[in-house]
Amino acid sequence: MATDHVSISTRVSSAARTTVEVLTSPSSERQREIRRIVSLCLPFTVLLLFSGVFPLTEMVRISFSESRLVTEGFTTEFYMTLVTDPYYRNVAFNTLWFAAATTVASIGVAVPVAHALEKYSLPAKSVILTVLSFPNSLPGIVAAFMIIILFGNTGVFTNAVAFISGQSSTDIAFSTGVLGLFFAYIYSMIPRALLLLRGTYAEVNTDAEEAARSLGATPLQTFRFVTLPQIKPGLIGACILVFRTGLAIFGTVLILKGLLVWTLQIDRELAQGFNIAQASAMATVWFVFVFGFTVLVLRYTTAEVSI
Amino acid sequence: MSEVSLDNVTKRFDSTVAVNDVSIDIDDGEVMGIVGPSGCGKTTALRLVAGFETVSEGTVRYDGEDVTHIPPENRNVGLVFQSYALFNNMTVLQNVTFGPKMHDVGKEERRDRACELLELLDIEELADRNPKTLSGGQQQRVGLARALAIEPHILLLDEPMTGLDAKLKQTLRQELGQLLDDLEVTTLYVTHDQEQAMSMCDRIAVMNDGHLEQIGTPSEIYEQPANEFVAGFIGTANLLEVTIEDEQVSFGFTELDAPGPQRVDGTATVMIRPDDVRVGEGPVSVEITNLFYQGEHIQATGLLPDGQKLTLRLDRSLGDVTTGDSLSIAFDPDDIHVIESTR
Amino acid sequence: MAERFGQGGLSARFGRPFVTLVLVLTLLFLAFPVVMTFVSSFASDWFGVLPTGFVTLANWQDVIFGTGVGADVAVGSSLAYSTGLALAGVVINLIVGVPIAYAVARYDFVGRDWVNVFAILPLAPGIILGIAFLRTYPDLSTSGIALVIGYSLLKAPYMVMAVQSSFQSMDLQQIEESARSLGASWPRTFLTVIVPNAKTGIIAGSIISWTLAAAEFNFSYIVYSRGTPPLAIFLFNNITNASFLNAAAAVSVFFLLIALVTIALQIIGNRSAVRRV
Repeated sequence: MATDHVSISTRVSSAARTTVEVLTSPSSERQREIRRIVSLCLPFTVLLLFSGVFPLTEMVRISFSESRLVTEGFTTEFYMTLVTDPYYRNVAFNTLWFAAATTVASIGVAVPVAHALEKYSLPAKSVILTVLSFPNSLPGIVAAFMIIILFGNTGVFTNAVAFISGQSSTDIAFSTGVLGLFFAYIYSMIPRALLLLRGTYAEVNTDAEEAARSLGATPLQTFRFVTLPQIKPGLIGACILVFRTGLAIFGTVLILKGLLVWTLQIDRELAQGFNIAQASAMATVWFVFVFGFTVLVLRYTTAEVSI
Repeated sequence: MSEVSLDNVTKRFDSTVAVNDVSIDIDDGEVMGIVGPSGCGKTTALRLVAGFETVSEGTVRYDGEDVTHIPPENRNVGLVFQSYALFNNMTVLQNVTFGPKMHDVGKEERRDRACELLELLDIEELADRNPKTLSGGQQQRVGLARALAIEPHILLLDEPMTGLDAKLKQTLRQELGQLLDDLEVTTLYVTHDQEQAMSMCDRIAVMNDGHLEQIGTPSEIYEQPANEFVAGFIGTANLLEVTIEDEQVSFGFTELDAPGPQRVDGTATVMIRPDDVRVGEGPVSVEITNLFYQGEHIQATGLLPDGQKLTLRLDRSLGDVTTGDSLSIAFDPDDIHVIESTR
Repeated sequence: MAERFGQGGLSARFGRPFVTLVLVLTLLFLAFPVVMTFVSSFASDWFGVLPTGFVTLANWQDVIFGTGVGADVAVGSSLAYSTGLALAGVVINLIVGVPIAYAVARYDFVGRDWVNVFAILPLAPGIILGIAFLRTYPDLSTSGIALVIGYSLLKAPYMVMAVQSSFQSMDLQQIEESARSLGASWPRTFLTVIVPNAKTGIIAGSIISWTLAAAEFNFSYIVYSRGTPPLAIFLFNNITNASFLNAAAAVSVFFLLIALVTIALQIIGNRSAVRRV
């Protein structure tokens, strides 16, 4: 066994030496290319390590810490709380169903809109595109404000309904309810879904669609049997990313407060007594869940993922 | 002494062998063509000469000096790509002076050199334009001027005419051929278009599947192909099974004197070009099965008495021939070429 | 024979009107509140269905010069502060984003697809990264350095994507090899030929990542502790604490900023990048 160990370590060290040689004094064009690739990826890697990997690791460590403010000892207390306390289970449940529902709604709206943009000749198309992409630059707090403008106590929609029905506007306003939050979510999510689906739609083979129509398929059949299979990878990819977006929303819900979701609870852990360990545990769970499910989906589906 | 040479060069990518034990010597001032179907390794061979790939085995030499491990930027090679790859962030003049600038040529001199080249290529009025605004033919000239501006050891042309339309291709081919003759710059010209290679190159190397099949002047390659692949790749060839005995070539339906002494005895393959088949009178009758009108002439396919196919070229005066007709033909002993290797 | 060229099924008759209706409703849902916000920022009252009392600049004055209550700071200082922070973030993004975009677009190497996924997918969203920063770099948060490096990681994907779209329209291999055959070393080729040729993507990417960094709320909210609030925090304070119409004016300032950026991007002629935001 000892010899095995030695041979492995020599092999490793000789491999390391070769790597160093390739990087310091490359002799073939391929080795020079490897050196270039490494130096091109280096700045990003440094940033990723310094401002991504290291802080996230520290976050994970404190979530297992017995001490409140410094990393000390090991306890799974904060994770046990998340698992056993019905309060947190309820928060997790809220987060998941709400993100799923808003994802389905956003994709449901985005597919016909992307279809119209790609297939129909629309007037003032560049204006339409600008309107549809504009909310992508808005932070969630502004999306929340948009919902207040529409459905808040003094909102346009609220007051219009109040005016017609004669009810009090505060009875009608739903911006701070679950429904208001739902609209605020999809206000951010529809443009995002659209951005993803338009790229997919642009690659659809229109010849095949026309062939299907010429063979007697109705528009719906054409969509079902020709277009849908083609956009499927993009559709799955869009669902994943929009769902991720939905899980990460924080500013919107901080203002509207319609539903207690995971991100809002993380903030509450900090606001009510700076419980950084519990917040870190929650953030870790969030990160591991989203990271894991993204990797899984990328592995086992043909999903295409881009921003 | 050969100016640029590949000596027993092999290049492997993972499990595939792109170039397999190839040796090519390019003489000073010579225009060498490499032709072959796509994937035959011709572009890899060019990249080995330029230094963008490093050989797995073998040596690359410039003037006898081993440059195998010298990076491309220190090799002084002029490179013209299919897309020309002009720098759109610079004017035409800046494109052409870029190379001399990298070689620390003085400002005055590199300007003079560039202007001279632009004039030579008849594009001096484009000097201040952006390459994006130029036509394909103009871009090609700029690409060429840029490559020549560094007074390269060797000029490497990688399918430089593929993107152009047929008419322009023909004009440029003549111009480029003339220019390469005048400048006496050593050139390696890679193309899949054997016609271009035949008209422009002093010698041609035919590659297939990583191997060098034959190297020779255009007429050698056309008239005396080394094997069936070369015969079939360069132009149209009829390959017929024969038996050779006592300097006599027997087709089964006719016999001929062999063209000179033969090394082969027994069954062999002979090649006859369609334009070498004499139509009109002769001992052999061919039943015409297909006719392709091609403008200058008519290409016809027929069946020989033993059922083998034969492609022949008909003069337009025979325009009333229809399928099903029989024509009398003859082969001239000087026009048949016995293929020695079956590779 | 009447059926021979019939109208087809339901989808042939109602599909298109339905899809068009969805499009129109979506446009209204997205655009209407934006227009109302902007219009109402010039109104003095809003009690009924529509705001009234036009045209007043009082709300804008409150936002621009500060009121001393509620949204106490003037927008100018927040805007300037966020501009600076986001600019610093963009500089880092340029240094990290352009090279990695080139590596992925130009070269083939083991693990390229995963490098690409890491480069174009945000690692963690603002709030999670915020918690991590709060724990790891508590001392940096007051100086703004934490905000800068956080922004640069959060927004790097947008820079990478914009630059990549520029690279994709170029024949990188042939351009790089041409320059090198002419005697330019590789670093020189990268800096004098490749980067200038990708100019439009680089400018577009800079503008996009700048805007998004200036607008980043979640991360700023967790990490920011005291001093001049970044723009997004300023907006938050206005939305939660100021009068409704003052908030409308504050949000309108932000709309104008986005509008300017959109125009700037269209001037560069990289309109696909605008939609990428």
